[in-house]
Amino acid sequence: MTTRYGNWLLAALLAVPFTATPARAADPFNELAEKTNQKMVKVFGAGGFSRLNNYGTGIIISPDGHILTVASQLLDTSELVVHLYDGQRLKAQVLAVEPELDAAIIKIRLDGKKIEEPNGLKLDYFDFAEAAKRPHAETGDWVLALSNTFEIALRDEPLSLQRGVVMAYTKLAARRGVFEFPYTGEVYVVDAITNNPGAAGGALINRKGELLGVIGREIKNTLSDTWMNYAIPVTAKVDIKELVKDKDGKDQEKIVTETMLSFVTKGMKGEYKRVNRTTTAIGEGGYHGIVFVPNILDRTPAYVEDVVPGSPAAKAGFRPDDLVSFVDGEPIASINVFNTWIKKNTRSGQVLRVEVRRGEALQTIELTLGAHPAKTATPQPAPMPKTP
Amino acid sequence: MTRFVFRALARVRLLLAIAVPSGLAVAAIALGSAAAAPGPIDVEKSVLDAQAERIAAIKKVFPAVVAVCMQGGQGVGSGVIITPDGYALTNFHVVQPTGPLMQAGLADGVLYDAVLVGTDKVGDVSLIKLLPKEKDKPFPFVKLGDSDKVRIGDWSLAMGNPFSLAMDFTPTVTYGIISGTNRYQPPEGKGLLEYTDCIQIETSINPGNSGGPLFNMQGELIGINGRGSFEKRGRVNSGVGYAISINQIKNFLGHMRAGIDTDHATLGATVGTASEDALLTQMVIKQVLEGSDAERRGLKEGDQLSSFAGRNLSSTNQYKNILGIFPKEWRVPLTLRRNNERRETLVRLMGNIATEKEPVKKELDTPAPPTPKLPVVLPKGGGTDAAKLYIPKKGYANWYFNELERDKLLAEVKKQGDFSTANGAWVAEGQYTMGERKGDFRFEIAENKDADTFVNLKLNIEHKLAPLKDTDHRLQAEPIGSGGLMLALYHWNRFLTLGAKGFEGGFAHGGTEPLYPFPVDGSAPKSLVDLRTDCAVIKTKHGSTECKWYFSLKDNSLIGFETYTDKEKEDPCEVYFSDYKAVEGKQLPHRIEVRFKDKRYAMLTVNKYTLAKK
Repeated sequence: MTTRYGNWLLAALLAVPFTATPARAADPFNELAEKTNQKMVKVFGAGGFSRLNNYGTGIIISPDGHILTVASQLLDTSELVVHLYDGQRLKAQVLAVEPELDAAIIKIRLDGKKIEEPNGLKLDYFDFAEAAKRPHAETGDWVLALSNTFEIALRDEPLSLQRGVVMAYTKLAARRGVFEFPYTGEVYVVDAITNNPGAAGGALINRKGELLGVIGREIKNTLSDTWMNYAIPVTAKVDIKELVKDKDGKDQEKIVTETMLSFVTKGMKGEYKRVNRTTTAIGEGGYHGIVFVPNILDRTPAYVEDVVPGSPAAKAGFRPDDLVSFVDGEPIASINVFNTWIKKNTRSGQVLRVEVRRGEALQTIELTLGAHPAKTATPQPAPMPKTP
Repeated sequence: MTRFVFRALARVRLLLAIAVPSGLAVAAIALGSAAAAPGPIDVEKSVLDAQAERIAAIKKVFPAVVAVCMQGGQGVGSGVIITPDGYALTNFHVVQPTGPLMQAGLADGVLYDAVLVGTDKVGDVSLIKLLPKEKDKPFPFVKLGDSDKVRIGDWSLAMGNPFSLAMDFTPTVTYGIISGTNRYQPPEGKGLLEYTDCIQIETSINPGNSGGPLFNMQGELIGINGRGSFEKRGRVNSGVGYAISINQIKNFLGHMRAGIDTDHATLGATVGTASEDALLTQMVIKQVLEGSDAERRGLKEGDQLSSFAGRNLSSTNQYKNILGIFPKEWRVPLTLRRNNERRETLVRLMGNIATEKEPVKKELDTPAPPTPKLPVVLPKGGGTDAAKLYIPKKGYANWYFNELERDKLLAEVKKQGDFSTANGAWVAEGQYTMGERKGDFRFEIAENKDADTFVNLKLNIEHKLAPLKDTDHRLQAEPIGSGGLMLALYHWNRFLTLGAKGFEGGFAHGGTEPLYPFPVDGSAPKSLVDLRTDCAVIKTKHGSTECKWYFSLKDNSLIGFETYTDKEKEDPCEVYFSDYKAVEGKQLPHRIEVRFKDKRYAMLTVNKYTLAKK
């Protein structure tokens, strides 16, 4: 309540040029919303099950349709689709993903054109290099958020607009599920409830319509266990631990600093190379090495068919015909549930308590997840997208 | 400098607010203000002006905001008064638990008795009426705005009684911007509570805000708050709330005022995208329901639907939005394309609940018991003044208000001419035009020597009908091509001379509907949309014949009526009246256009009326 009051005054204070007369009918937000909406897309991809949305938001950063969005599971499909502000439905393709910046670059792919050749789209866009040059916004500054929160908009329907105030510019300490969030750099924390389903990849802008950041996901603050409303700034910078071989051929950690700008610049050219890192990022989950029975049904029970020799599952003692029933207390109704849970909640090195039914008895197995081998034998097919 | 001070203050306050337990929040506010007070802060005049305007807007509408309560005062939601005699809007889902009698608290701290007037279950709106404590004492009320003018980014004010917080009914005010317009939110349970063409707000609304008003910054009512998007964060404000647009409510207001349990509409045809994967969406007719008006208007599978009620269609949501704002039986113009040919036609919309949602019908009929006009056992509080304003009847939220509105309208109509004494033979003479043909016409409505009523109509040839004997639909529809002009004239005569007594099968107010009178010179209108004239409707039934009478909302004059000889199967005979002149002190139309099936049948110019007494 008090915060709101403070914001009102603050708002009024910053709104000086516009609130002078009842000519607030010419409110700058109308135009700003309209213009910004033209520089944004609705993204539709993988998901649509188990609280994973198959929809999100993206920010256009080139006239040819390069789009900046978050590095979510949405992109795990070859059927990525975007809707432009004017209702056009176009295909898109992933160019670069960096989980530790929680950012991805996708690009619109027109039928009959190669992804790298000019496509003549001439879209309105945010100049990312310009945006990244500006100093970051201050605590107390006014911001507006545009996103496809709750998938309210389809086709030519405009994105949802919210306004708020930057409450803090600070390091993110948050988690997603039980797992620490990979991005640990600075974020804008805002007082509007911006981070809802589908809002990730939306734009946080200032009152001039300049891009400040990319709206993040639904995550909880590790300290207070409350939902966060945050955006990753265009000026974001993270330290990534790279795994390099020293002269003796041994693995060594080396810190590589990556900025959002360099990611975007390289990503747009298709030149972004993810460094070999020490930890597996969120999105893949840890590696177990269980081979399940053929997953033919939506709800195929999680029966173990085999284990990959030498894998964590083999070391833990999983056996064929074991039925995986609980993982860390979560009931596992099907192979899909198991895979999703692993993807969402685990990483390499994590120890899981798995309960399996073996014969008539329940057995508890401790499973220490490992890193994914360089080439997984059979990659999981992307879930069927529900593209509207 | 100033900016810095404010920032620092804002931060301090934030900490205070978080640090103190919620019970002490008031203290925190006091501290905050105290800290702000001593410093001579130089605030820009325009900022103070803006603030003053905001406060003025709030002050203006604040007294009209309602806390809707169960009998006994337990809060269930919010509402807003829209007329000085105490009519107030709220959500259907707010009055669902209260039943037909409820109470309503205002900002003056007084708890008033209130009664349910009308309901729009699909649209989640109900109209209630507050009873003044002193007879005829006016209530504070708000002005209805134009929600089509609301734009994304506009400021808005939401008011109501969230969490039933205010024990003295003073409304809580929240302030925020419009996040989206023309939003579609699908029905919540059994086809009800469908939010079409609604306004999306970030203005905080919470449980208890339901039914409360959304205002623009001029203090005009632009919507009724009722819903939010919720997921992981629980059923409290998540930054995404929805208000039913006031322009949609305006379409149903006439029905609700007339005590009707209103229904939304379907087209009588399914509409979908030509291809989900297409670059741009094209809406096409998928399936046409047999026997629907859509079928009679010639809609065919594959026709492209390019505009609906004057609005262009660009997506499925958009189609649902536009369809969703109309009550059933309204006629709306739509534009179709077939083989590059463009065609505009008026389609009568079908009911939503009764036809397609048949299975839920039983449930919907409650709370009105099926036996009308009998003393009913009312919930506690029966015997109060409010209870006297409640009459249950099937199809109506409260039949009392239907009779009230109907009789009010008829009293106005009677001012233009009392025909009760003109109960003898009626003769009208003049000229007709039928296509290229022209000539003299004459019609007579009279009783023969056996006291049987007959209608004689002479156009190019003579036609005769004995309406009470000729019950065959084919005979009733004569002259061929008119849809039943003689029967229509007979009913018109009956309506004017007998009133309610002449319609044993039903005589009720039908709410408001648009009528589309065509240009009298026979020219094709540029767009059917432009012809729309809003009317109050009376629905009558005599024998097997049903009629709808359209009274212009401007001057209460009867500008047209429709006569259905066979409502399930056939189009009605449409009669349009204009060029009203006084005949013996009674206003009578001197130009009568007869239309049937999208075509003009005849245009009659009356030179002389002879109305006899019995």
